[in-house]
Amino acid sequence: MASGRDVRDMLGLPMGGDGQKSAVQKRAKAAAPVRRIQGVAREVAALYGERPPPVAVYEEKKAYRAKRQNQGPAKKWVQQPFVNEARGDGLVLKHWRRKPTTAPPVQDGEDTLMKDGESAEPHVEKSTDFLKYSIQVDLPTFTDEEYDAYLRSDDWSREETDYLFEVVKDYSYRWAVIWDRYDYQPGSRSHLTQETDNADAGRAMAALPFAPTKQRTVEDLKARFYHISAKLMKLRIPEMQMDAEQYTLYETLSKFNPELEGNRKLLAAALMNRSMDEVKEEEFLLAELQRINMAANRLDAEREELRARLEHPSANQQVSAGLASFTSSQALQALFSQLFAQDRSKKRASGGGTGPSRISLNTNDLIQTPSSANAQLSAAARRQSMATNQSAQTPMRTLSPQQEHRYNVSTHDRLTSGVTFGSDKLLKMRQAKSNVQTQKIAAALAELGVSEVIPLPTSKVADVFEQLIGKVGKLLDVRKVREKEEGESRVLAQMKERRGSSGALGGESGGTSVEPQGKHEIPDSAEQTPGLDGEGDEDNDNDEDGDGDGDGDAEGEEDDEDAEGEEDSRVPSETVSRAASTAHKRSASVLSQGSVQSSKRARK
Amino acid sequence: MNTLNSSSAPAAGEYAGDEVAAIVLDPGYSSIRAGFAGEDVPKSVCPSFYGHIDSDSGSQYLYGENAIHTPASNLQIKNYWGSDGIVEDWDTAAKVWEYAITSRLTGARAGDPAKNGLNDGTKENGNGDAMEVDMETIENQEKPLEESPLLMTEPGWNPTKAREKAIEIAMEEWGTPAFYLQKTGVLAAFASGKASGIIIDVGASHTSVTPVLDGMVLKKGVQKSPLAGNFVSNQIRLGFKQSQPEIPLTPHYLVKSKTPVDAGMPAQAVYKTFDIPPTDSFRHYQEERVLTEYKESVVEIWPGPGRLSNGTNEEIAKNTPGRPFEMPDGWNQVFGVDRFRAAEGLFDANAALTDDANPRPKDEHTLPRLVQAAVQQVDADQRPLLLQNIVVTGGSTLLYKLGDRLNYEINALYPSTRNKLIAPGPVVERKYAAWIGGSILASLGSFHQLWISRKEYEEHGANIVEKRCR
Ligand SMILES: Nc1ncnc2c1ncn2[C@@H]1O[C@H](COP(=O)(O)OP(=O)(O)O)[C@@H](O)[C@H]1O
Ligand SMILES: [Mg+2]
Repeated sequence: MASGRDVRDMLGLPMGGDGQKSAVQKRAKAAAPVRRIQGVAREVAALYGERPPPVAVYEEKKAYRAKRQNQGPAKKWVQQPFVNEARGDGLVLKHWRRKPTTAPPVQDGEDTLMKDGESAEPHVEKSTDFLKYSIQVDLPTFTDEEYDAYLRSDDWSREETDYLFEVVKDYSYRWAVIWDRYDYQPGSRSHLTQETDNADAGRAMAALPFAPTKQRTVEDLKARFYHISAKLMKLRIPEMQMDAEQYTLYETLSKFNPELEGNRKLLAAALMNRSMDEVKEEEFLLAELQRINMAANRLDAEREELRARLEHPSANQQVSAGLASFTSSQALQALFSQLFAQDRSKKRASGGGTGPSRISLNTNDLIQTPSSANAQLSAAARRQSMATNQSAQTPMRTLSPQQEHRYNVSTHDRLTSGVTFGSDKLLKMRQAKSNVQTQKIAAALAELGVSEVIPLPTSKVADVFEQLIGKVGKLLDVRKVREKEEGESRVLAQMKERRGSSGALGGESGGTSVEPQGKHEIPDSAEQTPGLDGEGDEDNDNDEDGDGDGDGDAEGEEDDEDAEGEEDSRVPSETVSRAASTAHKRSASVLSQGSVQSSKRARK
Repeated sequence: MNTLNSSSAPAAGEYAGDEVAAIVLDPGYSSIRAGFAGEDVPKSVCPSFYGHIDSDSGSQYLYGENAIHTPASNLQIKNYWGSDGIVEDWDTAAKVWEYAITSRLTGARAGDPAKNGLNDGTKENGNGDAMEVDMETIENQEKPLEESPLLMTEPGWNPTKAREKAIEIAMEEWGTPAFYLQKTGVLAAFASGKASGIIIDVGASHTSVTPVLDGMVLKKGVQKSPLAGNFVSNQIRLGFKQSQPEIPLTPHYLVKSKTPVDAGMPAQAVYKTFDIPPTDSFRHYQEERVLTEYKESVVEIWPGPGRLSNGTNEEIAKNTPGRPFEMPDGWNQVFGVDRFRAAEGLFDANAALTDDANPRPKDEHTLPRLVQAAVQQVDADQRPLLLQNIVVTGGSTLLYKLGDRLNYEINALYPSTRNKLIAPGPVVERKYAAWIGGSILASLGSFHQLWISRKEYEEHGANIVEKRCR
């Protein structure tokens, strides 16, 4: 900031009186009695206000600026003349360089620099730094004899061929540029001599911003050039002796098809010149396709999920990891949380599902059977890996279950913040996503005789309750599916009836008629699942399955209570037995549901 | 740009730069840009217009900003460019260019501060004299460019004759040791760091669209049109004339003093009188300066979608807040939808204002059609690549929202490709893109071998530019 003094100085006014000046100084002194705090930025110091803090919170450190290294007198720079090795004409240019210390001393001052230029003798540097950027392209060459013998063409004169090669060299194979600049004037031997021959015509052509369109297309030029290159290549290296790289090059060169290229370019241009509407339409169609694909995928996922659930997971686990893996509370909890997550994701998926997906359930069901078996395998593998993961993450020091119980130690995957009441937790578990579901759960619990308020909501009770709720949820799911299937089977049955009554078509294929029947049986069995005992369930199942299969082939019947593995191997074998095995599988899963339920009862 | 420590040489190959104190000269219709290669802005920016006074004692020529804006009796303002965007008056062109180079770059060597062109201009009649002296001293010197290679720019449609003339001037009159000609389109692309692209340059007299592939202009695709800055100025004039009441356009030099008036009220100003007034061309040129100001601060381009005349666009434009403008004489007004009309003609020939002297522009001269025509002339395989690098340059592209509109129009033309507009933000980079590209090119070490040396020129003659500067 310029002070008043500076302004006066600049304007040439007399300095203000001494008295005034001292007054200013005095005022300044009075106004700034506070000790300046050192080592703190002025802005920060200002925040302290009138009174600085009682304790100095800063570290006073003296910072020295790095001392300027004195390396003797300033180094001299000279405008060093140099020639670029890439040039043939020895053009001398000058660039600034440190004056070499070894060179004989030159007088100081500007004069020397001037003289350097004028009498370009002193020492001309050879600059090779940029030689590496000077690249020449490789071009096939041919002799007159070769041309006459192999390369003649009706369409191309020798002169034009030479011109083409020259242009290709000039523009380093940039075909778009070559085509742009290609301007062969018949009668002039080459474009180098062209100006002397018919300079005016050449200039007039060059002067036109819009040169007339050429007869030759890029493809013509390429075809000629590639053709010659291929022939020459073959002449130089016989086909047999070419290595792989050379041969592929030869192939591409000799197989060049100008028509094909031309058509491709036309198509490319047409693609580019589409109107906004066309592009919009394409975009719309693509989006639609994607939407349909996504819906299909979601549906598949949903179905598979359902299937995976309908398989009895505990059986799988037992097979893969053994019962031992579920003896610890952790493992059980992991299992539960996994089931819970599945449940949730299932809910989400079905929540997002739309009407159409439900309708097409039937066909999907029939088609997807083999892959669902796969999925089930992979689901098992996933479960297993999750279980092992869980154990891998446990801390080093483990307490025995008894100890854990004694010290009331519990482990959690994730702790929620804050304190919650156990009873709240129980209450929360009763809530489902939808009101209807909540009511259904409540009804199921009431049926089981679980009271609304559980007197001692310990964590153990909560665990058990949680599992119970999970199972109730699953049961409700199963019921929903059952209702769905029931409806479907009813529709199919009606269809079948209609077909049967309408004509001979109905009785024609026994295989197809199996489907609805087999299907028809299952819902019945499922219907009884929630209410009935495990044992009764099983019996029921067996009977009905037998009935169903009796119509088709009896194969499935014997393996009724078997593990899935056998069924898996059987399923792809023939499509006719598909329906039967589907039915069978379902019955097996229903069975497992029943057993789970019975065990639950037992626990209670 | 210059972050290097001045006391140490840059490491070898650090930026492939090797400066040889080359001078880059970018002459345009409105101004001439000149400076040393390697710098980031041209040191010397001179108007292309020059003053000419025909008096009994002989003709007098005035060059440079200071001289030509001073009203002098019988002063005519001329431009050496022809209407087709090619230099017409070569003798004067050479002089104006030389002035641009010597007044700021090389000429200061003589060192008399009173006469080096930097300090003149305050006294009214001192200018011309100072200029004259300057020119004389230059003539007495050997040749102005004996020390420096020269890189010159040229429009994409420059004919062979003009190119040969340029090297002749540089070699014979200025004595440059090495010379090169490069098209403005290529250089503008280089300035944006692109070797390929479509360069849309909206200058003063011409708009050009240049497809460039790997640093080479695709000549068949070069398009030019007269719809550029001057066209917009004329549109503004027409708009002023056709508005009710007519809007007065008074340049600065006519106003002695003014008093503020309300918007739309007649100006209350004291005007200057001249015994022998400067000519109409002087007034026109001075008006042009006011119009440029108007362009900078008021004119706006309808950003799309659609043209201004489409559907309810005009209604929407009407509802945007206006922009005020005050003439040098104090007349002022808030401009509403009118400010959109001035430049709509660049995109929509139907929207251009017309009268007897200003016929309706041709449809194929509008910007979208130029771009379309340029792309059409390029090999189909290269089109998407070029459309990804559309460089926008030239002073008139600074018109407010021009970029938005261009973007809309190009996307409407080519909806299925990925079109990208590269429009540098800083004004300097927009106006001087061609010069900056030249500055980059001429300071590269790998460029050394491209120069046309004096020796080569003497060997092959002026026609060597055709072979070397492709
Ligand atoms: N900010 C701006 N807004 C609109 N137009 C401008 C602006 N600045 C300059 N112009 C116009 O740009 C033109 C000059 O552009 P330029 O690229 O320098 O032209 P040239 O290359 O022909 O000399 C002039 O017509 C001037 O009126
Ligand atoms: Mg320009």
